[in-house]
Amino acid sequence: MIKVEGLYHSYTKNEKYAVQDLNFEIAKGEVLGFLGPSGAGKSTTQGVMTGLLQLQKGNVTVAGFDVRKISRTMFNKIGVSFEQSNVYGKLSGLENLEFYRKLFDVPTEDPKAMLELVGLDHVADQKAAEYSKGMKHRLTFVRSMLNKPELWFLDEPTTGLDPAIASQIKDIIKKKKEEGTTVFLTTHNMYVADALCDRVAFIIDGVIKLIDSPRNLKLQYGERLVEVEYREGDCLKKEKLSFLDRKDRSHLTEIVNAGNIEMMHTKEATLEEIFIKVTGRGLK
Amino acid sequence: MKLLYSFLKDMKLASKSFYFYMELGIALIFVVVLLFIVPENPDPKMDVYAYIDLQGPYKTMTEEALSRENTDLIMLNSREEVKAELKGNRGSVGLVITQADDRIVYEYILQGYEGEKFRNILKTSTEAGFVSEAANYRSVTNVITLEEDTEKLSLRLNILPVFLAYNAAFMGLFIIAAYIFLDKEEGTIKAFAVTPARVWHYLLGKVGVILVSGLMSGLVATIFLAGLKANYLHLILLLIATNAFGSTVGLFIASFFNTMVKAMGWLYVIIIILSFSAVSYYLPAFSPLIIRILPSYPMLFAFRETLYDVGNTGYIYTNVLGFSAASVILFLLANYRFKKTLTV
Repeated sequence: MIKVEGLYHSYTKNEKYAVQDLNFEIAKGEVLGFLGPSGAGKSTTQGVMTGLLQLQKGNVTVAGFDVRKISRTMFNKIGVSFEQSNVYGKLSGLENLEFYRKLFDVPTEDPKAMLELVGLDHVADQKAAEYSKGMKHRLTFVRSMLNKPELWFLDEPTTGLDPAIASQIKDIIKKKKEEGTTVFLTTHNMYVADALCDRVAFIIDGVIKLIDSPRNLKLQYGERLVEVEYREGDCLKKEKLSFLDRKDRSHLTEIVNAGNIEMMHTKEATLEEIFIKVTGRGLK
Repeated sequence: MKLLYSFLKDMKLASKSFYFYMELGIALIFVVVLLFIVPENPDPKMDVYAYIDLQGPYKTMTEEALSRENTDLIMLNSREEVKAELKGNRGSVGLVITQADDRIVYEYILQGYEGEKFRNILKTSTEAGFVSEAANYRSVTNVITLEEDTEKLSLRLNILPVFLAYNAAFMGLFIIAAYIFLDKEEGTIKAFAVTPARVWHYLLGKVGVILVSGLMSGLVATIFLAGLKANYLHLILLLIATNAFGSTVGLFIASFFNTMVKAMGWLYVIIIILSFSAVSYYLPAFSPLIIRILPSYPMLFAFRETLYDVGNTGYIYTNVLGFSAASVILFLLANYRFKKTLTV
């Protein structure tokens, strides 16, 4: 669905690149997460792919369309949700969605149902300017679903949302993924990336450092340990045992068979730990 | 249809914004000022405060002669009184006539702002007054005009074209830029840009909103001030063409900037330059080429033609076509530029 080759972009139109030499592909139905701190080049990459920024150097194909000469029909196939909420404050939530749905040439979702999906149905007729930041963000998010996109660009979809709403948004994305929607997701939230992405790309200073599935990364960079807390008589014991060591493995079996385990965790690395290991920088 | 939806959305947004009503508000203020403050045809008489220190028949003759002039003569009792009254009425002159050694001495007391030309007129007309009293006087002055039947507009109607040009036509120049920069600030342009709608749908929707407000303000002012005297078909055509021209100039300028603050300087300069033509409109003797080539110059005269009983239709239609063509060209240029800069 997306093919990016040798993508460079400079806001100052000189050698100071916001992104440089980006190469990646996204297969149909795949969810690719662009993981990186603020200013890493995530939104710039999405901007070029969605035609909001002019392609300066490289080749980018989106949903079969060359973004160098974008056809407006491409936008019937894609949906774009922005990091910064950008809705008409003087229009109600419903009016915002009613307006945008009319701009598409394909069957669209019912705006009222969309508002209900993200819990905004009770404020459907209220001016968007009176919405809270989180409500505006949900309106921006749900607007990107109006045209039932085959390819969905999500820029920080859960940023600024409370955990319950963020979880709701993640569930919607998961459902769309199950329905076969291809998703390009930019985030600096490792939990979102871990929960939703088939593959993640680590981007920092405009350069992709690594692309792989979260599982492979955890296996590659994580420690193969299990941390176990168990009771032996009146004493609570805590041990770290390696999967690779034969003695540790048989000891773990004994503990399991004794049946006094109170807590047990595998110690695979989080995406954030791997990110720091790979890039030497944090995600914040 | 996308254009229609975009226009309807913009109308809805505009109806909830300050800018939309500002133009109409200015039109109403203009109407009130012209109807209740500006006289339809100002009285050309000038107040004259006079003190005449003459005796016998000289006094009667002088007073009779002065009363024939097109002035309001107010007789006072001393030179000091004349000076005091002049201070309270800046549109007046003082006249003191005295007698010295069998000679009548005319002395004008002016405010100080009058030019040399005015002083000379006073002097010459006073002398001519005496000459015309001579027994063998015969007038040799003959005035002819090239256009004998030229219709004269009242002062109010003469001001109306200036309002139509600068409020109904050129106000859009600022407002359309403000609308676009508001959308940029709100980020809604980006959301629009990722739909199948085209940039020209977006831009033309805005031009439509400006046109509606321009037509409303132009027609409101004309209906109140000109009533049935104006040719409304010509006026509407001219308002559409000139308003579109103003909007597209605004669009083109806005396409070079990303904030209102940055664009403001250029918009201001353009408006100031365009306003120079009002000088030539009121002082036809001063109409150098540099002013005549400004688009606002023919615009003012074309609006004036729509207010005459028999306007110059050819001139009006030439302006309609000219401004329409210029609008199309400017719109295409703005559209080309905005394709690259709208979301930056």
